[in-house]
Amino acid sequence: MASITYDEGAHLLRRMGFGGDPADIEEILSLGREGAVDFLINFKQTDNRALDDLLRSSFDFSDPMDFPRFNRGELQRWWFTRMVHTRRPFEEKMTLFWHNHFATSASKTGDVLIYNQNLTLREHSLDQFDNLLLKVSQDPAMLLWLDGVTNVSGKPNENFARELQELFSMGINDVVTGEPNYTEEDVKEIARAFTGWKFFHPRFDPNPFSYQFIVNQPEHDNTIKNIYSGKQWARNGNLGGEDVISIISARRATARYLVKKLFEFFVYPMDGSPGDKATIEKFADVYMTRNHSIMELVRAIFISDEFYGDRARFALVKSPVEIIVGAIRMLGARYNPGTSAREGASNNTPAAISIFLGQELFNPPDVAGWKLNLGWINTSTLLNRFTYADLLVINRPRDLNAPGLWLSHEQLRSLSKKNSKKTVKKLLSTLGPLEVGGEMIAAFRAYLESDDQGNPTGFVRDDVTLDKKVRGLIHLMMCLSEFQLN
Amino acid sequence: MPVTRRQFIKRSAGMVTVGMVIPKFWLSDAQAETIQFNPRRKLVVIQLAGGNDGFNTVVPYTDTRYYSLRPTLALREADLKTREGASTIISNQFGLHPAMAEIKQLYDAGRVATVLGVGYPNPNLSHFLSMDIWHTADADGLGSRGWLGKYADLALIGQPNLTAASIGSLELPKSLGAGKFVVPNIINFSLYNFLADPIYPGDYNNQINTFNFAASRSMSAGTFLGAINNTAFESVRGAQQVQRSVSSYRSFVAYPTNNPLAVGLQMVAQLMSTVPEASLLYVQMGGFDNHSDQIGDRQNDRNNKLIGDHATLLRWFSEAVMLFHQDLTAHGLADDVLMLEWSEFGRRPGENASYGTDHGTAAPIFVIGNPVRGGLYGEQPSLAASELDPAGNVRFKVDFREVYATILDKWLGADSKEVLGTGYSNVGFLG
Repeated sequence: MASITYDEGAHLLRRMGFGGDPADIEEILSLGREGAVDFLINFKQTDNRALDDLLRSSFDFSDPMDFPRFNRGELQRWWFTRMVHTRRPFEEKMTLFWHNHFATSASKTGDVLIYNQNLTLREHSLDQFDNLLLKVSQDPAMLLWLDGVTNVSGKPNENFARELQELFSMGINDVVTGEPNYTEEDVKEIARAFTGWKFFHPRFDPNPFSYQFIVNQPEHDNTIKNIYSGKQWARNGNLGGEDVISIISARRATARYLVKKLFEFFVYPMDGSPGDKATIEKFADVYMTRNHSIMELVRAIFISDEFYGDRARFALVKSPVEIIVGAIRMLGARYNPGTSAREGASNNTPAAISIFLGQELFNPPDVAGWKLNLGWINTSTLLNRFTYADLLVINRPRDLNAPGLWLSHEQLRSLSKKNSKKTVKKLLSTLGPLEVGGEMIAAFRAYLESDDQGNPTGFVRDDVTLDKKVRGLIHLMMCLSEFQLN
Repeated sequence: MPVTRRQFIKRSAGMVTVGMVIPKFWLSDAQAETIQFNPRRKLVVIQLAGGNDGFNTVVPYTDTRYYSLRPTLALREADLKTREGASTIISNQFGLHPAMAEIKQLYDAGRVATVLGVGYPNPNLSHFLSMDIWHTADADGLGSRGWLGKYADLALIGQPNLTAASIGSLELPKSLGAGKFVVPNIINFSLYNFLADPIYPGDYNNQINTFNFAASRSMSAGTFLGAINNTAFESVRGAQQVQRSVSSYRSFVAYPTNNPLAVGLQMVAQLMSTVPEASLLYVQMGGFDNHSDQIGDRQNDRNNKLIGDHATLLRWFSEAVMLFHQDLTAHGLADDVLMLEWSEFGRRPGENASYGTDHGTAAPIFVIGNPVRGGLYGEQPSLAASELDPAGNVRFKVDFREVYATILDKWLGADSKEVLGTGYSNVGFLG
């Protein structure tokens, strides 16, 4: 059993989840590499009742027409509450991956359908890919989002057929061979296969979230579709949408594209080099030989040497959600979401901040999802990351049971040490562990030890120093460029 | 010996304060600067994201094919008048969408150049790739530098004050992606600030100094870390400048807050009127991907082509441009500002069954402002069945890079070959 180091454990938790405090990291070290990955992947075995209880007391989604209790903000608060408090971080991370992959916005679907889609993504996040793709395609949110409901025989709408191939499965060109994966003709033919796909709310069903998928035969084009003509995987016949999804899911181009997408989200960006192509092929084999199982594929990736190598370490830029949730979990900050907004005692700070950092959950910028890595970074989003760090450290609630987001004074004490050097090192370790040079450590120590005129006064770990300088130091460390990396 | 940012910060450690202007340390680093920067040659780019329907923007109202391809969506000659009843016809072939009353006024005043049939060879129907092609001016949309980013690398490095910014969007448009120059991206002015603990204001300078020390460390170029650190330094430097400047903006023009483009253009006016060097600004408005409900109102007025998503967007565009032009005029800046409107593609001439249109190719674009020679340029692509491509789309007549080259050469004082890699002909709207 390959053992893992503390840094590797922290790396694994940051990538499969949102990072953890020292106790979280220690917990998985003893399991070894495969054991730790299996523990995180087999999340259904982890007791999550504390979260379930919190969700029950904090949200009321029983009636979607009750606007104060059910709206986009409440959905965002619900998801952030899950991410901050779950003991199954990979469940949330994988759902977030698919939310980005099948990027759908509530601005067009409305809140009920986007919530349903989130539940669908959750349920099938580690399923066979064919099944996930089918379920998402038949889900009302997608049928509305990419105009499937107006795609009818004789007047096909190409929106879904195009993105199904370009973004959801294999990309315009094969990511290994560079060959075009489909033609404009294929888009048209496939659009016809999906004609008549509709959804409806069963008339006497009391559950307002209940929707059913149906192929409305009069609007479905029952003629021959000729797809991928001239290729080994060409098919000719009266194909329906389900057939097309099976055909696409079985293509190696899809395996390759998914591997690349997973790598770029969870491991490191790829550059199209022969080495990267070989890596893609290695994991595409896992997809092809394990019945397109997403679970098998991600497991292979997270136990691989590629994942633990130097190239992967801090190789990605943290997304806003990773910055926000990560800081809370690593620092042991408190987030109390409160109760539903109707009762006037809720707090939605993480979601509100996430919007200003460039990631509004349930509202990705477009169907291609968020632009990762440097796509998150510009002068504005970076200033907003610094402002988040500031908000996290300056909030000092009088009522410790009130809804809100803050770092307690007791936590500051446990995050600090008796001298400035150890305090700096302890906090750098907690927030990463981050590696910075000796000059930076010296600058942080100088900060801790200086008075308002910038003169050195020494470090005494008293209440004022904790409240002023340790809070200030956490703010500064969260502004480090190193902290922006994952 | 050149002064690096790091040395600068070391020397000035303890001296940097909130209101301090960071000296021109960039000057020594600027090896590639080749273009004489002229702050009175300002460019405002207005990107309409999603693919604006060119055929219903500049309407070919005499083309019978337009009507046969768009039985539901086509605007008839009789439709080409504003709410107030003024005609929006601009020639014996074309009329503007009736929602663009203000653009029509500016057109009549000779302030609007309409370039017809703008596109590029081998059109890509993907939003993302086509946008990248326009942003980068590269046929494959490759590379991380945009055409304006390349220009900024040549012209704007070394300027002590804010010269360029993207406004109102959380994402920096790829057009402004530069190799070295960091283009600020400002969502709103009040957020654009480096904040610290208000309980201990006396600690602010320590915070800023430590931050600047961290953001001035040398890091390898071309890495995420290097790029982030560079951006971090520029963001705080720019924030301090913006906070000082924009508070002095005054205007008599009332920009409606429910018009997203007007909100953005007001911020552009604020920067331009308070920072004399601010000269390369970028705003965008989305929502043009009208696959469905391009016209009409789902509830009541299903076939009314004078209302609907597209009409609303064009009304916002038209209204915002006019208010901005008036604001510039009041500030004595209207002669200094050129506006370029573009969208990643037009839409298919044949309508779909959802009261919308699918992805198209070539479309008209607008270049607006006192510096332009108004009128129609380019050539309208034929709608004849034999002239359409297999997807049913038109063939382009003017390469968008000709528009860029015209602006680079005739307005920005650049050599378009250096920015675009190849020479392109002058479209003529700047003389």
